[in-house]
Amino acid sequence: MNRKRALVSDTFNLKKRRNGTEKFGAVSNKDGPADIKSTMEYLMTLFPRKLFNDALPQIVLKHQLYSIHNDKTLVDKEVSKLRESGELLMFQLGFDAEAFGLLFTSDYKAKVLAGEEGKATRAVVEKFLEKVVSSCTDLSFSKDKMLREFLFTDSEITQLVKSGVLTVRDAGSWWLSIPNSGKFTKYFIQGRKAVLGMVKKSKYSEALQADLEERRTTSQVKFPMKYLIHDIVGAELVESIPTTSGTLLRFVDS
Amino acid sequence: MLGFLTARQAGLDDPLRLRRAESTRRVLSLKLNPDRDVDRVHGNGINTIDIETIEGRYMLSGGADGVIVIYDLENYSRKLQYSCKALCTVGRSNRHVHKFSVETVQWYPYDTGMFVSSSFDKTMKVWDTDTLKPADVFEFEGNVYSHHLSPIARKHSLIAVGTTNPKIQLCDLKSGSRIHVLQGHRAEVLSVRWSPRYEHILATASADSKVKVWDVRRASGSLFTLDQHNGEKSKASSETVNTAHNGRVNGLCFTLDGLYLLTTGTDDRMRLWNSASGENTLVNYGKVCNESRKKLQFSVSRGCSPEFVFVPCGSSVAVYALHTGELVTMLRGHYNNVDCCEFHPDYQELYSGGKDSNILAWVPVLRTPDIEEESNHENKGAAGLSAVNPAFQDAWSSDED
Repeated sequence: MNRKRALVSDTFNLKKRRNGTEKFGAVSNKDGPADIKSTMEYLMTLFPRKLFNDALPQIVLKHQLYSIHNDKTLVDKEVSKLRESGELLMFQLGFDAEAFGLLFTSDYKAKVLAGEEGKATRAVVEKFLEKVVSSCTDLSFSKDKMLREFLFTDSEITQLVKSGVLTVRDAGSWWLSIPNSGKFTKYFIQGRKAVLGMVKKSKYSEALQADLEERRTTSQVKFPMKYLIHDIVGAELVESIPTTSGTLLRFVDS
Repeated sequence: MLGFLTARQAGLDDPLRLRRAESTRRVLSLKLNPDRDVDRVHGNGINTIDIETIEGRYMLSGGADGVIVIYDLENYSRKLQYSCKALCTVGRSNRHVHKFSVETVQWYPYDTGMFVSSSFDKTMKVWDTDTLKPADVFEFEGNVYSHHLSPIARKHSLIAVGTTNPKIQLCDLKSGSRIHVLQGHRAEVLSVRWSPRYEHILATASADSKVKVWDVRRASGSLFTLDQHNGEKSKASSETVNTAHNGRVNGLCFTLDGLYLLTTGTDDRMRLWNSASGENTLVNYGKVCNESRKKLQFSVSRGCSPEFVFVPCGSSVAVYALHTGELVTMLRGHYNNVDCCEFHPDYQELYSGGKDSNILAWVPVLRTPDIEEESNHENKGAAGLSAVNPAFQDAWSSDED
């Protein structure tokens, strides 16, 4: 008899395990402690760097992590831990209230400074990166915060907006943003629409994930299939159903 | 399971632990049972159900046609197959029946002699159960979405009423007065709920995306408004307001101990809040489909570890673990949208009602005892002990073949 105090919830393993450990078809990740960092690195390899001529750092969306790890709350906690420690930066991407982009801080800093080579705004951007990005984990900044806490003048703020590091949110407040990310947003929305359309047009509005990954996208869609599939699964725009022939993605009407 | 029983026997474990383990096991095995159903009386969708808290025996249901039915949930027949009987009905022929759909029904918390129902015909009626006549009628200017009586109140007998008017009215049962008004919301109030921990704390949810917590003894406004970003102004798309959801908030439920509050909204999210501080615990349940334009009635399990939330999601009921946010299972069985569900704490059963005018009972599946071969032949007459529903017995084959 096990004398150690076990949690009642552990006895009734909430994750219903089937008999036997082999799963034919649906391969899901049930690793122990969720290793968010390595998942992020894997997702970043899917990001097409050449498309943007290496000017953009690799961006991963927060909900793409949900498609790989089962426990959303745990993923959220890990992400905020990494943000607190300064390794990760989160951005509000603008096209969806819930879509947050994640970047490694080192990547972001390197790309922004590389983009600022030879421009007049370089000094201000450097100062911004050092002071603000290193210390503060906010997604947006208000005017008096910029003026008082960080001692930026109005003209300096204008320069930051010009260089793309800040984007106007409403009168007197700005979002932290990634320079040259307009192209990313455009291709991303296009890609998402295309993949969703592919699933919707299939018979019964469903397609096997393995089958979808094999399909070739039109030349308009610049993102790799896997990146977009992680996005639609994580954002719950499609329902992910485990079947004996693999994971099935069914379009969700909302 | 045997481990828990042995530990309890030997005194190594607290008695509560075995009870919790068994409750959790039962909730995890909820299924539709062919042996148990509820009499079908409603002709139209069922909007609300309530199980009385004293004995857990009687259930009220209110329908879209204004009909209110009382069911007896206890199975005193010796048979396994039981259909919850409708004891009495406030039907269309009753002189005092509601003219339009009944949105909320609730038993009086202290005995079943009285119940309160509110409806889209802009009235709230306090009924006497024996005579099925209203003892009191409160009239309002707008459709009444929701009302609630505090389950633990000793010092007051107020009914909080949420209508299309942004002001929340508190009606007093004892005196019939309704002068106490809570102001603060800007749009219709979809759901109101008293805290099961403190008799003066009330939570209200409104179509203006806000959830406010009030202390009714206070003269000035609400105690606090729930903020989904926990004060991090940076995440909100607009700087000004504290919103609990990005859409209408249409469901409220306190956990049994009153420490946590759950809210659901039309932005397809469900959030868990610490009810004392108003802080969002940031548990991520994922997408909880919610298209209801009225209030959504959902419930939390009691006495299990971990607790479960049962939320109607389209035409099925989703079961989530309360604190981790993972989806345990989806209970499918209704033919149309599910509007309400209620957990029976003593038997760990779930009753859900929906637009298909059915109330389904989800009962924990236990291992059926093995019926020995020899005794089966002798006891064929004792149909009570066999697990076969008479509807499934075939009447055409004979044993002589």
